[in-house]
Amino acid sequence: MIKLEEKKASIKPIKSKLKVEVLNKQEIDGINQGARSVMQDIGIIFPSKKALNIFAEAGAEVDFETEVVKLPADLVEKHLKKAPRAYDLCGRRPELDAKLGQDKGTHYFTSGEAPKIVDFETGERRLSVKADIANMAKVANYLDIVSLIWPTVSASDKGVAAPLHGLEACFNNNEKHIQTESVMDEVSAKYAIEMASVVAGSLEALKERPLHSILLCCIQPLAQDRGGIESAMVYAEAGLPIGFMSMPTLGLTGPPYSAGSLVTAFAEVLSGVVLTQIINPGTPNFVSIIPSLLNPRTGAYFMGSSPAQITSASAVQIAHSNGLPITACMSFGGSQWKLNNWQIGIENSWVHLLTVMSGADMSFGPSGMYEAVSLLDMQRIMFDREIVQAIDIISDGIEVNEQTLALDMIKKIGHHGMYLSQKETAKQTRKLWPPSILFEPPTNSEERYRNPVDVAHETIEWILKNHKPQPLSDDVRKELRKIVDTADEDETLKKEVQGAK
Amino acid sequence: MSQEMFDKLAQAVIDGESEDAEALAKQALEQKLDPLACITNGLTVGIQKTGELFASGEYYLPELIIGADAMKAAMQILEPALLSGQEREVTGTIVIGTVEGDLHEIGKTLVGTMMTANGFRVIDLGTDIPSADFIDAVKESGANLVGASALLTTTMLQQEKLISSLKDAGLREQVKVMVGGAPVTASYAKQIGADGYAEDAISAVDLAMRLIDAPA
Repeated sequence: MIKLEEKKASIKPIKSKLKVEVLNKQEIDGINQGARSVMQDIGIIFPSKKALNIFAEAGAEVDFETEVVKLPADLVEKHLKKAPRAYDLCGRRPELDAKLGQDKGTHYFTSGEAPKIVDFETGERRLSVKADIANMAKVANYLDIVSLIWPTVSASDKGVAAPLHGLEACFNNNEKHIQTESVMDEVSAKYAIEMASVVAGSLEALKERPLHSILLCCIQPLAQDRGGIESAMVYAEAGLPIGFMSMPTLGLTGPPYSAGSLVTAFAEVLSGVVLTQIINPGTPNFVSIIPSLLNPRTGAYFMGSSPAQITSASAVQIAHSNGLPITACMSFGGSQWKLNNWQIGIENSWVHLLTVMSGADMSFGPSGMYEAVSLLDMQRIMFDREIVQAIDIISDGIEVNEQTLALDMIKKIGHHGMYLSQKETAKQTRKLWPPSILFEPPTNSEERYRNPVDVAHETIEWILKNHKPQPLSDDVRKELRKIVDTADEDETLKKEVQGAK
Repeated sequence: MSQEMFDKLAQAVIDGESEDAEALAKQALEQKLDPLACITNGLTVGIQKTGELFASGEYYLPELIIGADAMKAAMQILEPALLSGQEREVTGTIVIGTVEGDLHEIGKTLVGTMMTANGFRVIDLGTDIPSADFIDAVKESGANLVGASALLTTTMLQQEKLISSLKDAGLREQVKVMVGGAPVTASYAKQIGADGYAEDAISAVDLAMRLIDAPA
């Protein structure tokens, strides 16, 4: 059983001794050159007048009619160079900082902004609400496998300012770095940054220690989202970390080849990085590549497949060759909702192993997600934790030194002996048999172990009842409330969000 | 001679050869063949066979879509040549679109293609479509089905609005309303008074068939 006791929030990135390199240098160059020729010859759509003007001024070839921006290779290189490879996604305290590009391993985070949740009490599926975000933020604060968080679900009870309500719920219940993937318009972006500034103490303090960042999704193939890109420009002006994500579906929104999909994906994300570097040189950027497949029988979106994941692992090398951190090899919770589902278990195990072996800087994994990140079941995070723990052990390899060769012990025990009575055995057993929800003694003598679903449920119940994330001061909480209240009534925000045309 | 042309048209659809299908359609008109017969005995036979190959697991979605594209290419030649009073037989007519404020396109388009491949006339309005545009399209086309897609929790509310707009326009009895999209569930569909919810493009076709009592 996992020891359930109240503790301060902590993080534990997973550093792997095992490495996998999918691509050789020639292959990396081929994909990089492909992406550059797409940016230069075909271009990327930036449906924002502000972005088009910035590009035109910087020397890109801009067609204001079609909104296509063609980026000469030298312009791309000049601005990519300014993006830092190493920086921190800060938590409220320095020990909670996710250090990227500093050889600390992979930082896992809770993804989400899913629209649906499995109700913790009734087990029924329903639309998620703000209170669910708060609950899951608290669970993520408690578990050290989680280095940073997104609001895991959407606040469907909160209208157009829902993304800001999500951030408020996270700030109030989690001390780790908080990233948004739903603040996708200029007006909301300003509110979000104001909220983060309040938590940090000031905008300057926030720039110094960015405890908030944004990840936006490009539109495949070869386009940016208007709201997203305008939001990103606000974050760039504030100097906060910005990620660009591409989600090519092989054979649908990307070519049916891994390499070709990496070409289009990197053309999309690098064009975004270039824009933010033009606006504010040195802005911390990262990229995220999430390839997927289409179920060719039903048309359903299918994220977790082996061709998609090996493509994502390859993307790690491409990102690093461009001097950028990357979020890669995410587990998506399998194709259907069912705890103890074989497909989900298998998929998540190898995906996370690939994550740490490929050296991804970040990955969303322990999220409690199902159905391609559209459904949250909180107790599921305990299974994700279990998988990540196993991978931590596997990716550590084995230790060979004088102590572990144990020749003295072998001599001492000799023939037909038993190592159980040794103090070193007692000490080492803790490492060999780590805390788990899988091997609890049964209540029923017919079974060998308790049903881990029940153990997971009880664990979450305990965390929700007993864990108290370090609270923000009353003044800060009130200030956050005031900002979100104002956003709720802001007509320009309503117009911005609803008038997507 | 005409049967030979019908077979070739059908085969062009099965093979997903748009250019061939278009060229054959032109040839058929030059040979003064009846355009309606070309559609009914050629293209429709081809798309039905394509559908069967898909159902049996031989074909995957790309083949189905390429087949539907080939059919469309030939239809563009043959339909304008139909004599007045001639109308091709369709399973049903559906107006589909993604609701206002929502730009997600792919799922909706896949549903449209699958419906086309199953003999429906599909009027695809695109994305970010206000309820009023759905209403206009239903009036204009005499559709008996409406499909509304929403991918955001903030835009799914527009599906409910569309249903009440259809009521206000006196069209609710004329059409069956199908809803879909990531945040949408069967219970939500029921709650807002839709006639059905489909999880993916294949089940959307099954649902449409059931709703209008079409033979499967």
